[in-house]
Parts: sequence; C-alpha cells; structure tokens
Amino acid sequence: MAGLTDKTEMRAYQPAQPTTESAAASPAGQQLAGLLTHEDLDRAQDRWRVARARWGGRRSAPLRSLSLIWLLVGPGVLVFLGENDAPSMLSYSAIGTRYGIGFFLPFVVLTFVMGFVVQEMTVRLGAVTHRGHAELIFDRFGKFWGLFSMADLMLGNFLTLVTEFIGVRAGLSFFGVRPGVAVGGALLLVLGAIATGRYWTWERITLGLAIFNGLFIPAALLAHPNWQAVGRAFLTWSPLPQGNRPEIALLLLSVVGATVTPWMLFFQQSAVVDKGMQPRDITAGQLDTLLGTVLAAVFAVATVLATAPLFRHGINAADFQGAEFAQALQPWIGHVGAMLFALGILEAGLVAAIAISTSSAYAFGEVFGTAHSLNRPLREAWPFYLILVGSACVAAGLVLVPHAPLEFIVLTVNVIAVLAMPPALAFLLLLVNDRDLMGEHANSFWQNFAGITVTVLLVCAGLGFGIATVFPGILGG
Amino acid sequence: MKKGSNLLNRDHFKKDRARDSQQEIEAAALSARPDLKHPQVVLSLLEADQVVAEKQRTRFGRRPLSFRVRLMLWGLRVYVIIMLVIVAISVFRAVRGGG
Repeated sequence: MAGLTDKTEMRAYQPAQPTTESAAASPAGQQLAGLLTHEDLDRAQDRWRVARARWGGRRSAPLRSLSLIWLLVGPGVLVFLGENDAPSMLSYSAIGTRYGIGFFLPFVVLTFVMGFVVQEMTVRLGAVTHRGHAELIFDRFGKFWGLFSMADLMLGNFLTLVTEFIGVRAGLSFFGVRPGVAVGGALLLVLGAIATGRYWTWERITLGLAIFNGLFIPAALLAHPNWQAVGRAFLTWSPLPQGNRPEIALLLLSVVGATVTPWMLFFQQSAVVDKGMQPRDITAGQLDTLLGTVLAAVFAVATVLATAPLFRHGINAADFQGAEFAQALQPWIGHVGAMLFALGILEAGLVAAIAISTSSAYAFGEVFGTAHSLNRPLREAWPFYLILVGSACVAAGLVLVPHAPLEFIVLTVNVIAVLAMPPALAFLLLLVNDRDLMGEHANSFWQNFAGITVTVLLVCAGLGFGIATVFPGILGG
Repeated sequence: MKKGSNLLNRDHFKKDRARDSQQEIEAAALSARPDLKHPQVVLSLLEADQVVAEKQRTRFGRRPLSFRVRLMLWGLRVYVIIMLVIVAISVFRAVRGGG
C-alpha cells in the first residue's frame, strides 16, 4: 500500500468540514486510494469489526449489542480507571484515614458525575471531527492559545507521571521490591503495551490491567465497613469533616483534582480518534464513559472504606504513601487485604503511567503534525513513540534520583490539575458548541448548563484554595 | 448479500471498478473477511476525513473570537498564573514546615 508520498499535495491545506460521508464516495476518494497508510488499514479493520457487529448476521439482538459494546468500550473506561491513579488513590486513602465514613463519600461520587459531564463532550468531539483535542485548539484558536494550553497539559502530565512512578515504587515496596527494579519493571510494561503497534491490542492490554483497580473492593470488604453509616453518609452528606479548615479545603480540591483533570480531556478525545469512532458510535462512546465513571466511582469509594479503620483507631497517616497505608491497615484487614491494597496502588500507578505518557505523545503529534497513532509502526511514528517512552523514562528516572523534590510534586499535582482545568474546560465548551464543527452533535442547553456549572465550581474551588492559603485565618484554621 | 460470501475475492473489482456501486463495496466490507489490500474497501469503511492523508491535507480554519470570548480566555489565563503562584507559596510553606 502506498504511503504518503505526494508532498506537494500535502502542503495545499484546505479548510475542512466534518463529514460522515464514506471516504470511498468522497470526491477525493480516488486520490486517497493511493495514499493509504498502515494506520488507515488497521483502523479500517477495526471499523469492519464494528460494522459486522452492528449488522449482526445470525446473532440475536442482545448478543449483537454486547458484541458492539465490547468492540467500542475502551477510551471511557481507560480514562476513568487511569484517573483513579496513584495520587488519586492516596487522596481517597487520606480521606478515609482522616475523616472516615461521612461527607466525603457522596462528595467523591459527585466529582465523578462532574467527570462524566466533561468527558462525554470529548467523545462527541472526537467522533465527529476525527481530530484530537490539541489539534482542534491549535486549528480553531491559533498557536497563541494552543501553546498556553499545551504548556498546562505538558506540565501537569509530567508531574502526574512522576507521581505514578512514586505510586509504583510505593506499591511494590510493600513486597520488598527495590525501587530501581519496581520502576524499571513499570517502564518495561509501558514499552510492552506499545510494542504491538496496534491501538486495539494496546487498549485491551491496558484495559486488562486497569480492571485490577477493582482490588480495592475486596480490601474494602475485608475492612468490614459499617453499611448503615455508609448509607447515612450518602443520604445526609454527614458527618461533616472537622478540624483544620485550610487542610480540608486542600483535600477537597485534591479530591476534585483526582477526578477532573486536563490530561483526561486530551487523552479520551485522541483515543476516540485513534479507535476510529464515528458519529454513529457516539451512544456507545457515552455508555463506555458512563461505565468508566461508575467503575471508577465504586473503586474510589471502596478505597475510602478500606482505609476507614485507620480513622476508627486514630492512626495518624499524615505522611503515609502507598505502602505505609497498606502496612498500617494490616492489623485490621489482614495480610491479604493489605497485599490487595498495595497491589491496587501499584496498578493505579501503572495504568496511569501508560495512559498519561500516551496522552502527552498524542498531543505532541497533533500539534507538530507528525504521525500520532498507536496503529503506526515505530519507523513511521518514531517521534510519537519517542515522546511516549521518553516522558515515561524521565519521570521514572526522577523518582530514583536521591533528594529529588518528590514531596513537592506529590503535594502539587492534583491541585495544579484543578487549577489548569477551567481554561481547558473553556476551550472544550467553545469547541463543542462550535456548530461549524459539531453540527447536530453540538451541546444542548442542559449539556451547556452542566458543563458551565462544573467550570464555575472548579473556579470557585480554586479561589477557595487560594483564599485559604493566602489568608489562613479567614476559614478559622 | 449472501451470508458468509466474500465479494472481495471476486475479480470484478479489478475488471470494472466503475461499475461497482457503493452498496456493493459496503456489503463487501461486511463479508467474512475484507480484503484490506484493496483501497476501495479500506475507504468504504472509513469516513472521508478519517483518512490520514485527508486529515493532513485539510485543516479546520481559525474561528473568529469575539471580545467576550477573548476576555474570558485572558481572565482564565490570569487566574491560572495567580493560582500557580499561590500553589508555590503553599507548597513552600508546607515543605519548610515539614522539614
């Protein structure tokens, strides 16, 4: 199959219009036939499977739906289980340890509702425009705003990536694995996932790993939570957290940052594009996002419940990382429970490391116009893979550097994510309301209402944090 | 279309492509195993602006930004910068306090 050889033709940029027209029937169909890439072939094969599942043949309707969901599920589940990452799970653990079962349980679920509102928009954007988020921002708003948004993304992604490797190191330290071996093993896994040169395989491997986020459920069950208190917390949003109010404000912000972050927008939209989703797949994409939201919310709540015994027994967990939580929990949830908890932290770091490094690579490729697909072989998309592996290697290396400012990074990562989110949401809302791009798939009144509410809440949360920091006395802390 | 048949194995693509209707190509795409060596089959499975070459050839143009939109974007940018300074202060205090 011919590659992209006609450079003269490539330079003649023309304004695009999203279209649902088949490429074979388009005016440029004959011309495109000679320019197909490996990426197109792999994507066509994925589309063929989806078309077959939709068509169904002899299969019954429920079987056909299941088959379709199996094929189209992926970006939504991955983005939410990826965001249940090491710093997020540590934030949920901190909640369980400091405040037990109470206000924070429904609050955590609320943040996931906010996450769904935001991520669902990226599904529509990706499926309709077939462009990644970074590419759309550069195209529609220009280089000036695009570079700002990339700077936010790259800074946030790098810091988050470092914390993922801290999580991997902390999770494996429970089993006595040395930091170098733990971090090196995680890097090998990132390499292994992309080695297949196929989006579909990468997605299934990462999904397979991500499902181990569910290890927090047996850990929670072993903690024997008081289900009446859990029910009361969800119904009444109480008891309210008591104590140092600036610290509570920081924790609230860090819980929001554990669920709604810029990398998620960029990652899911790019993954939807790489998966080859089309406007007719939007409902399946929304279901995928909903499934991811529900799973991640359940696992997050399970983490709070698993660590609640530390609150009941008055354990001070101010300086705990992953392994310390697991060790401290051992007397109450047993060795198996503690082991599951440590493995959960390890998984959280691993999956997020894969997803976040991929998110950076997608954004880089979209902005610089280089090949950016997991369906491309290394020789065709080496800058994409270089960024993916390079960012993971630098972050992993930093974790092993003695006296590196890891404490600084852990403290700031979720907060920076929340603070960078309002501008990212503004671009998202502008794009998804752009009828030239989205046509009938543009936001409805209620989708805008929900999106704007989330943005305003995030700005208020950030301002509250700022006030609590600059004027600590104002909140009575 | 006959179930399980593979229209793409027939020679008619090579003999007279012009005669093939879009429906035939799409039906072929749903056959047991599509011949992805045939560009028309690949193209029939993808939307026009999903093909890499088409995406590289075309770009969505800049959208005009109204004064209100620009004001909002600048406001949010200033917000991020101020908040990052506050985060730096907060972390500096936390690290110094902890150390």
